[in-house]
Amino acid sequence: MTCDEVRDLLPEHLLGTLEGPEDLEVRRHLRGCAACRDERMKLEEGVSALSRAVHDQEPPSELRGRVLATLGEEWEETGRVPTTSVPSREAGRERWRWRAFAVAAALILVVGSIAFGFDQRHRASLATTDARSYRNLLVALGGKDFRIGELRPAEGSTMRGQVLIYDGDPSGDWSSWAIVFAKVPGYTGSATATLLSPVGESRALPAIEFEEGDGKTWLVTYADLTRFDSLAVTSPTGQVLATAAIEHA
Amino acid sequence: MTIVRTDEPGSDLALMADFAARREHAAGVLYDRFASRIYGLGVVMLGNHQAAQDLVQDTFVKLWRSANRYDPQRGRLETWVLLTARSLAIDALRRRVLESRSLQLVGVQREEDPEPLPDEQAAVVDLSARARRAMGVLSPEQRSALELAYFGGRTTAEVAALEGIPQGTVKTRIRSALLRLRAEMAKESGR
Repeated sequence: MTCDEVRDLLPEHLLGTLEGPEDLEVRRHLRGCAACRDERMKLEEGVSALSRAVHDQEPPSELRGRVLATLGEEWEETGRVPTTSVPSREAGRERWRWRAFAVAAALILVVGSIAFGFDQRHRASLATTDARSYRNLLVALGGKDFRIGELRPAEGSTMRGQVLIYDGDPSGDWSSWAIVFAKVPGYTGSATATLLSPVGESRALPAIEFEEGDGKTWLVTYADLTRFDSLAVTSPTGQVLATAAIEHA
Repeated sequence: MTIVRTDEPGSDLALMADFAARREHAAGVLYDRFASRIYGLGVVMLGNHQAAQDLVQDTFVKLWRSANRYDPQRGRLETWVLLTARSLAIDALRRRVLESRSLQLVGVQREEDPEPLPDEQAAVVDLSARARRAMGVLSPEQRSALELAYFGGRTTAEVAALEGIPQGTVKTRIRSALLRLRAEMAKESGR
């Protein structure tokens, strides 16, 4: 595609009305052509000018809280305990229950981090002890099952770790959790933990961010996790770093 | 905590990474930067404040769900946000049309949107006046093509068919309209 052809298509590309193959061609051209990128930037400034001049209006002040609360609910549902509480019109009646789970999850994360950070020679016994203490804690909250798995490194990897799954009871409105602790000495970066079922279903957890070799992630969901019986941890390039078989504690 | 509040592409990438990682401060920064324009877009396109508020909420949820896909090489964050909002507004308009048609088919009167309050009506009138002023620098042909493409989400082919002109003319009108608006805003900010 020539510069003239691309410039001809830029308004449509910019306004998102260009069809797939042509849009790909335009993008490919833009990656390697500073002059056309400059032209696109000018048109984008036109869109910006249009939006500022034509439709810039302060929304009601309460909308900010509503939007942040909605995002908080979305984040809760997809697996992360919010770092700060957000007001919610809808979530009031569930809030005490969420807090109870959040406290329990935080306890498990703290205890699990410390236990996992201990001398690795005691890993097996610690895992058993952890499982018992977690089970006692979680039985008090209700739910169906508590399962555990040990992360074993793939060839060429040194990753070790643990996966803990608490199967809640969706009929009783109890959420389920999956928590992963991982350790790769000296590693800083990210990895992805994915739950796998025997029939090929998968459910990714939020990314594990490693700091000085230690990383953890967790998922809190109302979805049924009982069908997942293994976990794989992969690098950002897709290489498998470790796997775990998940069994009843 | 990362504090990001500039329009640099690198900062926008960091901001979206923070947003994707569910950091509330990033959501707040994004809201403060873009909510007023999404809201105004909703008022202009959907014609009432409740629908505009819903548009803001839906846009931020959609932005979060696709935050990992943001690529500054493909364009400015601002454009991406505005086009996401516009696309949702167009979906909402289409739903209204479909709903209206299906209710007509079964002979049911559509429940009208609540009558806007006087201050809401005043705000809509004010926005419309501003829109006319801003678009006043454009020729009627440029304005019509840009409105159909930007607010209507019409493709070049659709605008050409509606206006009865060649597609090449539509492209030229939209391009020259955007460049003209850019130049006018640069003039205003230089005053």
